[in-house]
Amino acid sequence: MASLSEEVLLVVKKVRQRKQDGTLYLMAERIAWGPEGKDRFTVSHLYADIRCQKISPDGKAKIQLQLILHTGESTTFHFSNESSALKDRDAAKELLQQLLPKFKKKANKELEEKNRMLQEDPVLFQLYKDLVVSQVISADEFWANRLGDMNNSDPTPYNNKQDVGISGAFLADIRPQTDGCNGLRYNLTADIIESIFRTYPAVKQKYGENVPHNLTEKEFWTRFFQSHYFHRDRINTGTQDIFSECAKQDEKGLKSMVVQGVKNPLVDLLSLEDKTLDEGYGVSTTTPSTSNANRTVKESSNAAIIKRFNHHSAMVLAAGSRKGQAAQMGTRGILTSSSLLLNPFFSLAIEYEDLQRENRLKTVALNLKKSDRYAHGPVPLQSQHYTTSQDIINSVNHIRHEMVNYKPNLTQVLSSTAASSAITALSPGGVLMMTGTQQAINQMIPTEVQGELKHLYAAAGELLRHFWSCFPVNSPFLEEKVMKMKTNLERFQMTKLCPFQEKIQRQYLSTNLTGHLEEMLQTAYSKFHVWQTRRMLRKT
Amino acid sequence: MASEDEINLLVIVVDVNPIWWGQQAQREPELTLSKCLDAVMVLGNSHMAMTRTNKLAVIASHCQDSHFLYPNKNWRGGDNGGEDASSSGDGKYELLSVANNLIAEEIRNVMTKTEVRGNSTETLLAGSLAKALCYIHRVSKEVEVGQEIKSRILVVKAAEDCARQYMNFMNVIFAAQKQNILIDACVLDSDSGLLQQACDITGGLYLKIPQKIALAQYLLWVFLPDSEQRSQLVLPPPAHVDYRAACFCHRNLIEIGYVCSVCLSIFCNFSPICTTCETAFKIQLPQMVKPKKKKLKQST
Repeated sequence: MASLSEEVLLVVKKVRQRKQDGTLYLMAERIAWGPEGKDRFTVSHLYADIRCQKISPDGKAKIQLQLILHTGESTTFHFSNESSALKDRDAAKELLQQLLPKFKKKANKELEEKNRMLQEDPVLFQLYKDLVVSQVISADEFWANRLGDMNNSDPTPYNNKQDVGISGAFLADIRPQTDGCNGLRYNLTADIIESIFRTYPAVKQKYGENVPHNLTEKEFWTRFFQSHYFHRDRINTGTQDIFSECAKQDEKGLKSMVVQGVKNPLVDLLSLEDKTLDEGYGVSTTTPSTSNANRTVKESSNAAIIKRFNHHSAMVLAAGSRKGQAAQMGTRGILTSSSLLLNPFFSLAIEYEDLQRENRLKTVALNLKKSDRYAHGPVPLQSQHYTTSQDIINSVNHIRHEMVNYKPNLTQVLSSTAASSAITALSPGGVLMMTGTQQAINQMIPTEVQGELKHLYAAAGELLRHFWSCFPVNSPFLEEKVMKMKTNLERFQMTKLCPFQEKIQRQYLSTNLTGHLEEMLQTAYSKFHVWQTRRMLRKT
Repeated sequence: MASEDEINLLVIVVDVNPIWWGQQAQREPELTLSKCLDAVMVLGNSHMAMTRTNKLAVIASHCQDSHFLYPNKNWRGGDNGGEDASSSGDGKYELLSVANNLIAEEIRNVMTKTEVRGNSTETLLAGSLAKALCYIHRVSKEVEVGQEIKSRILVVKAAEDCARQYMNFMNVIFAAQKQNILIDACVLDSDSGLLQQACDITGGLYLKIPQKIALAQYLLWVFLPDSEQRSQLVLPPPAHVDYRAACFCHRNLIEIGYVCSVCLSIFCNFSPICTTCETAFKIQLPQMVKPKKKKLKQST
């Protein structure tokens, strides 16, 4: 039942739902319907749950309003008051139109965002599993840190709507349908209306002037489509069409564009793209660029069509950037064109190297004073053996004497004792083979253990990062956070690190894999202890 | 065997520095130059005996020059075989006996021509390696089209490193790396940083032998298999190479230093002018915080 504090915005009597008479209530946050005579609501939907509303077409006998929810369900209300059904239905529709956009999609977005982040980043997912699923820290703390980082780095709030661009074919998309008896039906949606207003500000002006004083909306649009303004050839501009002024304004606009000339011969298509600041955030404004409208045209019907097309394209291009940039358009346009021509990519396209003057690169000669320094390698000055000339003479004579009668004696090269001692030295475990026994650690530890160790490091690193970022402790918030992080670290050590250590001990791996992790945790604990004692001293 | 067998060329560069070997002969008479050459010959014979298509070359690296011991012009020139009495007697594979004889003859020639010169007491190792690379290049051009040839160089080093050969040495090493030629090193006496780098860069093996008399055993065990076979064997692991650069001013090995952006010379301390290319540099000093002046209280 409705709480008494809810504000009721609209009450519509004689509304049928599922062939039952009743009353429709529109409240601040939900829409509800209760059957006649009863004082409770059978149907109640929050505006946040409603995806869209639909109304029955005008010609139909039944005047209905349908609500479609996010879940796909739909509820239909039939307005059955003989005199004011249409008015009621329209009033309800208008109110809903205003209320629905406010409540749209607030709740789901955050959850979607979280899921997306977890799916995209396997490291984050693993961290989440390690820390939250095993209850070292709570899910809120985890997300507080993550989303907080994300939001802090972007100044714009999350719900900024992106500017919608204008489709070049929006008029053609209206696509009239034949109505059976020589008439045409145009289906206008709010988007199309907005596109027309943005592209042709003159039409918007006319709309503002005439609706709702002189014409209804429907009449205005009918006239719009009937007018020659809208049609291809605007020959009969002299009629008392309210749009004849628009035609004259367009002519003036086109002439002024011709006079302005083309600022940038290379249409800067890049400036038209969605330069988003981030997903879901606004579009950075771009500088306008003019189209190739630099042609003189003859006054013929073909020329008129071409003129219309050019004008249309120019207006579409210009409409995308008409947001208060008019004043800066002049200077900015020149800047972009000249900077564009300096752009190396474009200069490659327009310039040819061998047709230009030769530019010799200016070089500076290397002036080395002591180049013999390079000749010496990293051989430190060692104490040279000083051989006296007498030694030299003796050695040379000796060797000459020895080799003068050299005859190879290949059967007496090696004695068996020498050979066997050499072999023992070269066998595994021998003198020369000692350094080889130190195998790399990664060959001795199985890969699952290595993987677990990596996860432990990632989780510990995350917790330690939060811990250390609290220092220096300036605010009570940081104090709380520091103490919380310390308990988290202790819990992490108990729930994750110790079982891992026991596990590797059971597997007889004697290497100390967790020494470094423990050292890091100990440093954190000692820092906390120091901070705590200092705080106590300050208080006393 | 099919004629598509891979040709394996082994070039052995032996350090025959007469001064070092002469002193060595007086220090430890167990390993003399003769014994060293015998061991090298054993290795060469084994290499050629492994596959018929294996080739061998031996270069003697002296302090005066580098000399090809095998193959040399005498062998290329004419016939061999029946002239030497020692070759025909024991039924040895003729190629091996010819090779041995040639090596022995050449080394005798080389050593008798040794002159005493005081200024050059270092082995011209960089030159020998360059000659080896040129020989490998020539041989690989002379084989038939489509025939693959794999080459490697083994350096048997006795004397110490020469710092003056550093640039040439590095050029040789990088050229070998580009040609996929392995450089192995068997060091008898003192560790050589240049050869360690050579082995590390080209992918070869570096070994310092603890017992010199067992040289032949080490050579056969470690350096006889070629690079493909080495992956199947358990061989001494590569040692850690010290790649630190030396500063240009003191020639100390440094890990962190200053490099001039113009001439790329390395210094251990900052100096405002680079001494090699005389470019002036500015370095930002930390900002000095001015002490705030306290406002004096106006006393009424």
